[in-house]
Amino acid sequence: MNPTPPDSYTSDPAWADLLPLPQDDGQHPLAQIAYTEEYTEAMSYLRAIMAKNEHSPRVLQVTAHIIEMNPAHYTIWLYRAKTLLALSAAGEVWLGRELEFLNDLALRHQKNYQIWNHRQTIVEAVAAAAAPAEQGRLVREEKEFMNIMFEHDGKNYHVWSYRQWLVRRFGAWDGELSFVAALLERDVRNNSAWNHRFFVVFGGTDAQQGGGEEVIEGEIRFIEDAVFIAPQNASAWNYLRGVLKKAQRPLSSVESMCLGYAPLDDPDKITSSHALDLLADIYAEKREEHGKAVKALELLAAKFDPIRANYWNYRVGLIKAAA
Amino acid sequence: MASTLLTSKHVVYIQSLDTKRDRLDYHLTSHLRLSGIYWGLTSLHLLNHPTALPRSETIAFVKSCYHPSSGGLGASPGHDPHLLYTLSGIQILATIDALDEIDGGKVVEYVSKLQNPDGSFSGDEWGEVDSRFVYCALSTLSLLGRLGGAPGVSVEGAVEFVLRCLNADGGFGMAPGAESHAGQIFTCVGALKIAGVFEKSLSEDQVNLLGDWLCERQLPNGGLNGRPEKLEDVCYSWWVLSSMAMIGRLHWIDKEKLVEFILSCQDEENGGIADRKGDVADVFHTVFGLAGLSLLGYEGLREVDPVYCMPKEVTDRIVWNHRKIPTP
Repeated sequence: MNPTPPDSYTSDPAWADLLPLPQDDGQHPLAQIAYTEEYTEAMSYLRAIMAKNEHSPRVLQVTAHIIEMNPAHYTIWLYRAKTLLALSAAGEVWLGRELEFLNDLALRHQKNYQIWNHRQTIVEAVAAAAAPAEQGRLVREEKEFMNIMFEHDGKNYHVWSYRQWLVRRFGAWDGELSFVAALLERDVRNNSAWNHRFFVVFGGTDAQQGGGEEVIEGEIRFIEDAVFIAPQNASAWNYLRGVLKKAQRPLSSVESMCLGYAPLDDPDKITSSHALDLLADIYAEKREEHGKAVKALELLAAKFDPIRANYWNYRVGLIKAAA
Repeated sequence: MASTLLTSKHVVYIQSLDTKRDRLDYHLTSHLRLSGIYWGLTSLHLLNHPTALPRSETIAFVKSCYHPSSGGLGASPGHDPHLLYTLSGIQILATIDALDEIDGGKVVEYVSKLQNPDGSFSGDEWGEVDSRFVYCALSTLSLLGRLGGAPGVSVEGAVEFVLRCLNADGGFGMAPGAESHAGQIFTCVGALKIAGVFEKSLSEDQVNLLGDWLCERQLPNGGLNGRPEKLEDVCYSWWVLSSMAMIGRLHWIDKEKLVEFILSCQDEENGGIADRKGDVADVFHTVFGLAGLSLLGYEGLREVDPVYCMPKEVTDRIVWNHRKIPTP
């Protein structure tokens, strides 16, 4: 679908009908510009094609060529998408090939997000024309490709956003929880994966949704295991707070777990500033335990998280003001 | 390692950006040129060199990016209109007091057509949705003095969408359910501030939780990251810090260590600021490093507005002085 670009558009008969349009840089004389020749030539031919509003297979050739040199050029992507949709409607291209093109590009340009916007447009178009069984396969293949992306970078924001869109769009919640569990097994500090876990457990529309008692218990056990591996992992502790809030359980329900990582009476054995932080919140809720809350916050300010001393001292101030 | 701000080097660095037209990388960045000019111009204003870029050429370039048929602006001539560059163009014109050079009503029309039924905004006609675009829309409208009564725009709907992006950890993501990210937090809190509803939208506990998440971004080397377990980067000196300033929690940061970190990322030879010490400087990290220093009260820099990332005197003149809501 993306034939190799010609060595020169000028000498290729397939492009001979076009008069290349050089960049109009407004008031700046063209002489100042010395693009590398390849980029300049391809851009000039694309401008000529866009000026004719042509949506033909050779658009795919020249846009692929430019995207290869500059994948962040959003206008090129939009013109390519328009062309693909037109050609696909006319039965002249099979959009599945475009996804293969995108796979290759995405792997080589991990930080690019235009690729993922474009992918969403293409997948919508493919799905619109697909029977339910084909849709299922499409979703499965999309997830398989994302798994490869996550092997390179488990925190790629664009890929995660795309995944959530896909899951919502196709109701593809099945398997998401075990997928997340596998990612967390590889890196228990992956905050993106923890976020997706929350999305799946509480935002989903499958049987997991709503967070019944059993689900909550399961999540808390999962967190306990994760914290045991890495006590100083902010993501797991943040997730714990989120789960408790969703379940409307008091923070004090995890007091003993916190004390395991932050024994207030034996500060040398404290292994988690996040456990201290949570204990401070638990004890701040009861007036008779304010002394313990202040102690936890003072330990944070002095020893366990001194860079945020101003914040911990602010919380001490709140407790003292309430007394 | 530089321990002071190299003002004159930064000015020269920014002025030189537009003279590198013979280099391929100049052209490979044409898809964000208008934002690049906004970053450079804002840097120069904060550095107290507001006239260092030629005014008439700047206006001419902005106008060359304008699409009269839609009312939107693209990143460069020949690039499609997009909300990101529409905002950059309006920010530039506002900063140099030249908003009358463009048909504001037509720009409002462009923005209003990009709002979706759920209150979110798409970045362009293709429908990509991101909480950033709500910010772009509301910021653009308010700079044009058209936030109230822009036909076809529901500010309430926009606010509702932003609040759906609020996560259990206290931060905001790019869409409902998406991971909290400091850049998205800036745009979400900024959108709520521009709409004038921040105070009534989040409880004191929610604000404290957000502040907790934000100040947790500071790493032992003084720099800030954008998400847990990620590397520090100068641009978060803006996204995190501006958010903390907007919610009145700036004092939770260790300011001295952050100032030291930003200064260490300067290019001592050619000017400009990089994402991290030793990396290549660029105008994006330059403006956000300078804006961060400004929020930290660094001597000699002009005051920056944490909501708009523009000189405060500009936003006072064209936004806050006309509105009943208090300046953040």
